[in-house]
Amino acid sequence: MKLAAIVPEAERVYAVFRQETKSEAHVHVGDVHAPDPQMALVLAKEQFARRDPCVSLWVVPYTAIEASGPEDAEMFQPATDKSYRFGGSYREQQRVYGRRRGA
Amino acid sequence: MAQPQAAAPRLAPEVAARLADHLLAAADDELVLGHRHAEWTGFGPDIESDIALSSVAQEEIGHARLLYQMVLGLQGRSEEEVDRLAFGRPPQAFRNAVLLERPNDGGLEPPPEGEPAWRGEWGFTIVRMVLYDRADAIRLETWASGGHAPLAALARTLAREERYHRLFAETWLERLAAGGPAAAARLQRVLDAVWGEALGLFEATDGEAVLVAHGLLPRSSAEQAERWRDEVAALLGGMGLRPGRGPAATGGRAGRHTPDLAVLLEEMTSVWRLDPEARW
Repeated sequence: MKLAAIVPEAERVYAVFRQETKSEAHVHVGDVHAPDPQMALVLAKEQFARRDPCVSLWVVPYTAIEASGPEDAEMFQPATDKSYRFGGSYREQQRVYGRRRGA
Repeated sequence: MAQPQAAAPRLAPEVAARLADHLLAAADDELVLGHRHAEWTGFGPDIESDIALSSVAQEEIGHARLLYQMVLGLQGRSEEEVDRLAFGRPPQAFRNAVLLERPNDGGLEPPPEGEPAWRGEWGFTIVRMVLYDRADAIRLETWASGGHAPLAALARTLAREERYHRLFAETWLERLAAGGPAAAARLQRVLDAVWGEALGLFEATDGEAVLVAHGLLPRSSAEQAERWRDEVAALLGGMGLRPGRGPAATGGRAGRHTPDLAVLLEEMTSVWRLDPEARW
């Protein structure tokens, strides 16, 4: 589904992604209202980079986001135990994902 | 942020005194404009811009603090006196350009549909910010290429934040100017009205020639003004606006201010005056 279908004034809302260090992924940290992408980026800097480390920001218009719907949530639930697929028992995975989860 | 302690060259007393005067004017610019920007806190046109301008206000006041500390050092006084220097002077001892003490309404009437909560002219704030921050960038570049290492280092540090101030102001101005003929006409009225006082940003402090002669200021204020005129003309032209006309309105750097500054200082210093000896 188009995320814009359920976000009010989606044409004026930009999702903001902050990268804390060069070795990490950009993470969605919130949204700003803005009339265009350049202004969204200017405003995002003070909303989301003033209290946390930041080396790079992205802004993405909500109108560009294709999203799974609430009714799709079941699709992500495995029918049988798939815990053997989880990477948690690998040290390198713990290092990468643990940090991202704030562990 | 620790300031790089470059081997501070010892300045002759006459040069140090002139440099202190020059930096006091810049510090007063930053403090007074920082206070005006802070008056928008809670009243900005949208929450994002409100927060962003409030953040800019904090930064300008932070820059003022660093400059006041350098002034105190040049005058052989303790950095502990920084609050007294910022808040303990009468209006005539301030050296800021008059443009920066003007209230945020820019002397304009509220728009016809004037909402009761009209707190000022956002367009005036943005125009003033664009004109000032371009001037400030040129001033910082001049210090950064000058012969006093501690000042050059400080200028490079401050320039990092000033870059965002410029980006914020110019991004906003571009959008206001594209807001239709009525918006463009209102902006042009502001530009025409403030032009003389904007040129007043380049009024030299007493004895500036000494600083130029000693290589501390590779460009005089007059030379900086020339460069500013070119840059601003190109910037405004690209937005369908034009520079104003007329001579510079000076006096601020000599302590001649409008009543607006006294009103501003009355409010800005009210908490400090409750107990000047208090430690915060």
